[in-house]
Amino acid sequence: MDLEQVKSRAGPREFGPGDDMPEEYREAATRMIQFHANSEIMGAYIERPFIRQAPSLDRKLAVSAQVQDEIGHGQLLYRAAENLGVKTREEMLAELENGEGKFLNCFHYPIQNWYELPMIMFFVDGAAMRRQATLKRTSWEPYAHAIDKICFEEGFHIKHGESILGEIATGSRRDQQLLQEAFDKWWPRILQFFGPTNDQSVHGGFAMDVGLKTMSNDDLRTAFLNAYLSKAEKYGLEIPETPRIEYDEYEERYHVEESDLDWEEFGAVSQNEYPPGAEQIHKRERRQAAVEWVREAITDDSPAAGATSAAAD
Amino acid sequence: MRWEVFRQEKPKDYHSHVGDVHAPNAELATQYAQIMHARRKPANSLWVVPKEEIETVDADEHDVAMGGLTQKEYRWATNYSTGEMAEEIEESEAEQKEAEDNRKKAAGEN
Repeated sequence: MDLEQVKSRAGPREFGPGDDMPEEYREAATRMIQFHANSEIMGAYIERPFIRQAPSLDRKLAVSAQVQDEIGHGQLLYRAAENLGVKTREEMLAELENGEGKFLNCFHYPIQNWYELPMIMFFVDGAAMRRQATLKRTSWEPYAHAIDKICFEEGFHIKHGESILGEIATGSRRDQQLLQEAFDKWWPRILQFFGPTNDQSVHGGFAMDVGLKTMSNDDLRTAFLNAYLSKAEKYGLEIPETPRIEYDEYEERYHVEESDLDWEEFGAVSQNEYPPGAEQIHKRERRQAAVEWVREAITDDSPAAGATSAAAD
Repeated sequence: MRWEVFRQEKPKDYHSHVGDVHAPNAELATQYAQIMHARRKPANSLWVVPKEEIETVDADEHDVAMGGLTQKEYRWATNYSTGEMAEEIEESEAEQKEAEDNRKKAAGEN
């Protein structure tokens, strides 16, 4: 298939491993899915310390279940990327380890305390879910299949995140104050989640043309703000004065003042050149090395002992 | 030789298992599968797979918990009441609700 045919046929779940796709498509799809897979893995590593820090057994269990889910999503996505034939799973995992693999800006920042956790588990995951829901209609079928399962599980993460948010927001005045501080700190990063506006997006146009993406960054951010600004208000969170956000009644959408956001930092973050982000990658590298023996045990070609692992349920 | 048959109803659907056919080779198996499983019912594509090529895991034989039958209330969206949600979250919750109903049904039957 040549690129023109791809563009004219592009539609939901249109292409799969049986199709002869041009190099440009396979590379763009690999870039997008690998980015998504890396983000799931790095998100899991951000949340992992909170299995221990969670204040109750129920919360520990739920955070633990969520971390399991995210790792599973990463694995599904590497598989969906792998069958594009550009990179193997091992290559993608190696790139993540050595700092070449790109992932979502929010997962470069370590979370300092329990009050920051709902910023990830509710707002960031909510933003991710907003985006993922549109990808049920992506043109690469294996990606869409992975998204089906991801969306099935993701609803729990966000509702659990909101449940934590609600618990803190109705706590003591000190709780509320610390929550507001966490929100002030994370809000600009969350606004940057969808990346720069359309006119500055490097890969967006091509991905839209070939049906990999079905909604632009701008539209996604507006849809996210529509749904989540009212949630912030519901829990008594004050929206910081900067970055400025105004509702444009005529266009019926939120306008975010781009110049209030630190795009230089965002650029460094997205190129893996931001020191706290580099530390997150390094942590991940150490964990990858620490469990090397598990991969060795699994890929050892001696006959299986016949035991099945307990379901990762 | 036994071949398991998977039918895809419409383009982009999943292939679902619909039954099996007996045939000495793949060519005949595809022909029998068409007659048995795609002549009346709408079908876009069929897969036939030699039975012995399929690996299976059975929940009762291997003592594995599948389909979320274990008590893990904390891991379902339906367990958290948080008021009105974004549309895509509601959708995910509805899928989980459906799965929960199926789980309850399955647990009742076991």
